[in-house]
Amino acid sequence: MERLQLNKVVKNFADKTAVNEISLKVGEGEIYGLLGANGAGKTTTMRMVLGLIYPDAGEILYNGKPYSKELRQTMGYLPEERGLYPKVKVSDQIIYLAQLRGMSAKDADKSLRYWLERFEVPEYYDKRIEELSKGNQQKMGFIAAVVHNPQILILDEAFSGLDPVNVELLKATVRELRDQGTSILFSTHRMEHVEELCRKITILHRSNTVLQGDIKEIKSRYPREEVLLLTDGEVSGLQQIAGVKGVDRLEEGYLIHISDVSAAQQILRTAMEQTTVQRFEVKEPTLNQIFIRTVGESNE
Amino acid sequence: MNKLGTVIAFTYKNKVKTKAFLITTLIMAILICVGANVPYFIHLFTEGKGQNKAPASIGIVYADQSDIAENLQSYIEQRNAGKYHFVKVDKLDETTLNHDVSSGKLDGYIQFVKQEGSNFPNVMYTSKKGKIDSALETDLQTALQGIKTQHIVKQSLTDAQLAELNTPVQIATQGVDDQDKDGKAGSSEAVKIMNYVVVYALLLLFFISIISTGNMIASEVTTEKSSRIMEILITSVSPLNQMFGKIIGMFLVGISQIALYAVVAVINIMLPHNQHLLGNWHLNFSQIGLDVLIYGLIFYVLGYFLYAVLFAAIGSMVSRTEELGQAVLPITMLALVAFYIPTFSLSTPDTLLVKIASFVPFTSPTTMLVRVGLGEVSTWEIFVSLAILAVSILFFGWLSAKIYRTGVLMYGKRPTWKELRKAMKAYKI
Repeated sequence: MERLQLNKVVKNFADKTAVNEISLKVGEGEIYGLLGANGAGKTTTMRMVLGLIYPDAGEILYNGKPYSKELRQTMGYLPEERGLYPKVKVSDQIIYLAQLRGMSAKDADKSLRYWLERFEVPEYYDKRIEELSKGNQQKMGFIAAVVHNPQILILDEAFSGLDPVNVELLKATVRELRDQGTSILFSTHRMEHVEELCRKITILHRSNTVLQGDIKEIKSRYPREEVLLLTDGEVSGLQQIAGVKGVDRLEEGYLIHISDVSAAQQILRTAMEQTTVQRFEVKEPTLNQIFIRTVGESNE
Repeated sequence: MNKLGTVIAFTYKNKVKTKAFLITTLIMAILICVGANVPYFIHLFTEGKGQNKAPASIGIVYADQSDIAENLQSYIEQRNAGKYHFVKVDKLDETTLNHDVSSGKLDGYIQFVKQEGSNFPNVMYTSKKGKIDSALETDLQTALQGIKTQHIVKQSLTDAQLAELNTPVQIATQGVDDQDKDGKAGSSEAVKIMNYVVVYALLLLFFISIISTGNMIASEVTTEKSSRIMEILITSVSPLNQMFGKIIGMFLVGISQIALYAVVAVINIMLPHNQHLLGNWHLNFSQIGLDVLIYGLIFYVLGYFLYAVLFAAIGSMVSRTEELGQAVLPITMLALVAFYIPTFSLSTPDTLLVKIASFVPFTSPTTMLVRVGLGEVSTWEIFVSLAILAVSILFFGWLSAKIYRTGVLMYGKRPTWKELRKAMKAYKI
């Protein structure tokens, strides 16, 4: 029995379908990536999981049971656009939100202090949100989402607007929560975050699920089409090898596009005959490429 | 229920802590202090005029109307002793008199101008700027009216008859109910004045607090919505709890504010010098009708909730605070109607309009108050009106909660009713 399970969930708004038969499972201690361009249906899916809106068809199960009010206490949510009172003190509002999710004021205070320590900003306890920078507001929003130790954590574009240092900090925290058993549903349109964090993903495009499954598996399904070749000297004749579609000259070598994996070995041999090879890699497709390809395909 | 309490406490604490709120409250309290003492200061100044300044000296030109002039002088000196100092002028010598007036020796002078075909002469008052003090004018008018009567009827009436003729007609009032209840018909006039004051004060209070608190609720909801904290809130607490938590919290804020003002006002009024003044006006707070206060309070609370749920619903439909003013306009108009119908009917509390309005939910809190305080109303009517009000609160509360639940998720331009209905269907609310 999964922590969170969506079975063929459909949501229609007036005359258009926002989410069309999405199914997914998020287990305990798992980060699940929800990918898609803007307007693909990510936020609608998350809102349905949160119980903000109800599906028109299909079912959402939490530990095998349908939505109930008690679930609110076990869920945490970081909306895309922060979501805190600008003029209220950090401590006041986060404790308030934690209380609304069933925590006692004392526990909430303790938990808040722990998280502020964790992010190395204990001095924000008495600050108002509007006094903080955007990135720090985002951190406070994250704390508000996790302060009550939720079982299901929903992060909508959690890393947008953060500098690299804070992205790493937040990623580390998310992984830590995963290791503690939290089920995390994570949406983004930045593929590199997904590759690092998630094991399974769903790619949505215009309300439809276009790709779903284990990232490694998905990647293996897509043929390797690029070879990275870094050499000391020049290599000629690459273009002539059978299966090579094109060659890009890089600063220290070449990026070769191939249509057949077997061409890769021939490339390596050709290069070794002419110069010293520093690096040779048959690159697996990035999620970004897969995303663009699938979305591009379904566009046609 | 516990969460409702949390929302109430949070709303209350945060509103009371804001600078803007503290400052407005303080300014209002100071204004009340000043306002409560204004009558006393006015009294002080007018009194000072009478005591410290020498009585106005006024010349009376006797000339050929000596008997009228003499009568006037004795009448005024008898009635308003010490207020005026009369200077007898035998002959009309305008140059000397005008000189006296412009030099300040005289405040003015009275002359009688004989009129053809009339028994009684015209009266002319000359002063520096051609103005007459209103008190002096009244005194002179009263005196001369009597003298005129006397002059015309001359010897044909006895003194007793004359005296009776000069007594103004008094109109006494009594209420049937008052007599039935405690038999003190005499005090009903004072009670009525006091009720009038109380009703008017409550009307004003109702209107101001509905508008100000209502706007606060609406703008808070809009702020929550635009900062997207709403999405977190409705995933942690039911919209009904959240909406009513906010409304009740704001209500408590408003009540605390009013209580503070009331305390400030009462303290000021209870100051000895103000008590003395109230005594002069024959006003006494023990004369306030208890029923007016109690019904006033009940209608106030119910009316507040009726308007507050609507303000909350409107607030939930607007995405940006800038649009709020326009969006709440219909409710503001409604509140204006509820304020003006009774205000214009204070002296005619039993018209058909008032009767109808006292049963219509949005106007009943104020109009019924006027009927209770100043008009005639039977108890069953009050209870019917209360029942209608309570039912409409339930209805509009339910409707508002639905709108609220839908509205808070709708961003962008303000939805039309049609869009809202569609959204309700789509969200399955």
